[in-house]
Amino acid sequence: MISGKERRRARRGESPEEVQFPVTPMLDMAFQLLAFFVLTFQSPTSEARLDLYLPTTPVALPGAFRGQARVTPPKRSEMDLENDLRIRAEADDLGDLKSIRLGETPLPDLEALADRLRRYSAVMEGRPLRVRISADDRLRYEEAARIIGTCNAVGVASIRLADPASAEGTRDRP
Amino acid sequence: MAYRDRSRAEGSFQLNLTPLLDVVLQLITFFMMLIHFGGKIEGATASIRLPMAPSALPTGDLGLDRLVVSVDAKGRLIAEGSTMEGASADAWWSEQARKRTAGLSTLGRKNEELPTLVVVRADKAATFGSVRGLLSTAQGRGFARFTLVVLRGRQP
Repeated sequence: MISGKERRRARRGESPEEVQFPVTPMLDMAFQLLAFFVLTFQSPTSEARLDLYLPTTPVALPGAFRGQARVTPPKRSEMDLENDLRIRAEADDLGDLKSIRLGETPLPDLEALADRLRRYSAVMEGRPLRVRISADDRLRYEEAARIIGTCNAVGVASIRLADPASAEGTRDRP
Repeated sequence: MAYRDRSRAEGSFQLNLTPLLDVVLQLITFFMMLIHFGGKIEGATASIRLPMAPSALPTGDLGLDRLVVSVDAKGRLIAEGSTMEGASADAWWSEQARKRTAGLSTLGRKNEELPTLVVVRADKAATFGSVRGLLSTAQGRGFARFTLVVLRGRQP
């Protein structure tokens, strides 16, 4: 649609008014954004993390020496310990994973472990699933990380590391 | 004006900004897309070969109070540029815990577990015992929050 102004201009034989798009501010902004992204750029990586919460053992509470001793209920972590599922991993002489058990059930591989943990998770009906991993010290960390990662993948809420040497892994401390 | 007339006669110089703008906007799009893929967690070193684990959490949101340590293939602790083992490693953990406990005491938060996140980069060839020993030592000094840095592997 030709406007009246353009029609008059065309009648007079003048060339239509040139529309100037102000590119400069846009370019300024674009370069600033580019500079920001270039400066904050970190190359993509497959690094990821496995979170562990290992609460410390409760220590003697201060205040008891003035005759103000209080009966303190056991920490929730201590009460939960009994309900943890126990994963036992044994290593061969080279540090490779020789066998893995969930409770008393031997499992062929980590996929079976994941499958079983998923079924436990379904049985728990939304309650947090907790596991305690007890592995031989000579087990390679790579294998241990795969076990921890498997637990993580199936949505285990809490992972504890137990000392295999201490009373068949009943200790909470790693 | 003579100058203007001459310039008109020779043809004005116009910088074509469109392709430049196209490239710049494409670069911005590229960087914006990559920014969400996450970067390396601090403390990366070529000497530590990380293990692969399924479904680990992405990096980022690690909090401000962090303590990054590494464990080499021989199970030695690497922190603040030095390699330690045995008593020197224990002393280092004690020192770190003491500093942080002193900070918490200043804030009036005594007898609390340390809020510091200990970021552990352990070599995949290290033994589980050495990593567990490190976690145990740190736990004994009051640290409770740990994160193990791994490479994201396939789902089980």
